[in-house]
Amino acid sequence: MATVTYDSTTRYYAGNPQPAVDNLDLEVADGEFLVLVGPSGCGKSTTLRMLAGLEGVDGGAIRIGSRDVTNLPPKDRDIAMVFQNYALYPHMTVAENIGFHLKISKMAKSEREERIKEAAELLDLTPYLDRKPAKLSGGQRQRVAMGRAIVRRPQVFCMDEPLSNLDAKLRVQTRTQIASLQRRLGVTTIYVTHDQVEAMTMGDRVAVLKDGVLQQCDTPVGLFGRPANLFVAGFIGSPAMNLIPSTVIGESATVGGRPIPLTRAQRAELTSDKVVVGVRPEGWTIVAEGIDATVDVVEELGSDQYLYCSATTPQIDPTDSPDAPHAITVRTPGMSPWRPGEKLALAPHPGAVHLFDAVTGERLPD
Amino acid sequence: MTVTAPRVPKPTVPPRVAPRRPRPAPGSRGLSPLRLLGMAFVWLFTAFNILVLYWLLTATFKTPIEIFTKPFALPYQWFERGDPFRNIIYAWSNAGFGRAFLVTVVLVAVSSVAIVLVSAPAAYALTRLGVRGSNGLTNFIAIGMGIPFQTVVIPLFIGMAKLNLTNSLFGMFLVYVALSIPFTVFLLTGFFRSLPDELEEAASIDGASPLRTFFSIMLPLARGGLITALILNAIGLWNETLLALVFLNENANFTLARALFSFYGAASYQSEYGGLIAGVAIVVLPMLVLYVLLARRIITGLTLGAGK
Repeated sequence: MATVTYDSTTRYYAGNPQPAVDNLDLEVADGEFLVLVGPSGCGKSTTLRMLAGLEGVDGGAIRIGSRDVTNLPPKDRDIAMVFQNYALYPHMTVAENIGFHLKISKMAKSEREERIKEAAELLDLTPYLDRKPAKLSGGQRQRVAMGRAIVRRPQVFCMDEPLSNLDAKLRVQTRTQIASLQRRLGVTTIYVTHDQVEAMTMGDRVAVLKDGVLQQCDTPVGLFGRPANLFVAGFIGSPAMNLIPSTVIGESATVGGRPIPLTRAQRAELTSDKVVVGVRPEGWTIVAEGIDATVDVVEELGSDQYLYCSATTPQIDPTDSPDAPHAITVRTPGMSPWRPGEKLALAPHPGAVHLFDAVTGERLPD
Repeated sequence: MTVTAPRVPKPTVPPRVAPRRPRPAPGSRGLSPLRLLGMAFVWLFTAFNILVLYWLLTATFKTPIEIFTKPFALPYQWFERGDPFRNIIYAWSNAGFGRAFLVTVVLVAVSSVAIVLVSAPAAYALTRLGVRGSNGLTNFIAIGMGIPFQTVVIPLFIGMAKLNLTNSLFGMFLVYVALSIPFTVFLLTGFFRSLPDELEEAASIDGASPLRTFFSIMLPLARGGLITALILNAIGLWNETLLALVFLNENANFTLARALFSFYGAASYQSEYGGLIAGVAIVVLPMLVLYVLLARRIITGLTLGAGK
């Protein structure tokens, strides 16, 4: 067991002046489950692979416990990794796959078999120990990959999108299995995913990356409740937060004719008179007079209903994704009688408003 | 108390009949002129080859008169005389094929194995170790494929003669291995390139050294490629004549192809065409059988690494 420390870690790729990971400072506590999340190309996999020793480090250092591992080869770091497509050795049986590291480290055969048996029991793989990976289902292969990691009893688990090759139902099952297994073993784990549901449900803390820069690292509740900037606000939560630009006049901004008061501290932090008002889909109330919106699409989920409305109020999209809808999203109770084309007036819940500086994108103090 | 409902006879449903052949996608079936032409060409080519093979096989059992007067009839004269294998026995004993067969099998086997043994690590290093300039080196080796060996026979002979390696099976072995390396390395780089990176990364995290990764992970995975390389080289070397003709000049060292060449002179002088063709069959058939048995393996091997 050990802590993991990224100390101003920087990584460049050949032919790109922009670093893939830029001055990353991150401290992972002993036994913690940390999830790295972000859009594709944000540097989350690179961050993990640097820890595993599969990528070089161009600046700064990485420590496991008090040991500086920046320049150590992977085999000397005492880590185990689960790959996205499992990387099982196709010509070896499940038992040989799980025991390959132990065999290389010249562990006695009896002890090795004991450890393999133990790992297999933990993962319900005992009946399959003599099979080759090609004869296993996707979920079983995933478990073999897990077995290969836990049999080593390493200081750190590195997991690179280990669930993305499973179908939706199995993914949900395995998600909880991995999380509970990790808590039971108490091994420090760094987990990379692009799926924010995985991030929010599995991690003790979640680190959000964008363009190689750490945006925020917090508990799932903290990330959802107090996003540190516009990017995190737009990235975490599905459907995304509605982000409406506004101008501060006097002591408050206005959204759809309704005043949104700013505290003195908030006004002091502002770099200009432009703010962005963030309201999650569940943060709206339907009122008699407010932002006028027209329902375009109704998404019925049974337990909830999402209304995608067009409104005269402009919206901004911090994730820069071209297909993000520039409309207001409203959550209403499931089975509500809304129909496309209907008009409604919206006002934000007083407690549900997030305020951001429009120029820097940073969250204003609460 | 149970009440049994009156049985209603189930309406008889005729059993469903699946079509014998599911219908192909629309438009994929039409006989366009180009397709017709292509099919005609392929069938003609196949028919021609089968005819040649048929001719070779039947002529092996014919007398010279039969060969020239009834080229496409079935053989009967040697069968009538109760000595159907006469041509084969004649070729085997008169042309020294017995020893040549042994020499060829050993030389081809040892050379093919040596070629793969040298080329596989080279191909692995060129594709997987991320060596600086490995792309250039691979291309440099591939250039070797573009040089017809016929053009370098004379300098090669002079060089080998200075080393006293002409008329020696060891010298022949060296020449065969050296000339086959470019193609084999090129073939195997394709194989190694198609293997996923993660396996090597997993091995390095598991603590395997590069050498161990090569032997216990990559080599078993490239087995298909290695076997393909082995077979292609074996077939090529088995049929190789020109180099054997230039480098070997002692009967004891003759390979099958070389022995056949000598036998050709003698047999045609004596009008022993039946025996000559039997000789050709002895040289050609083993490789033909090998190819037929392993054709699928060779073809998948050649196209692997082409996709994806």
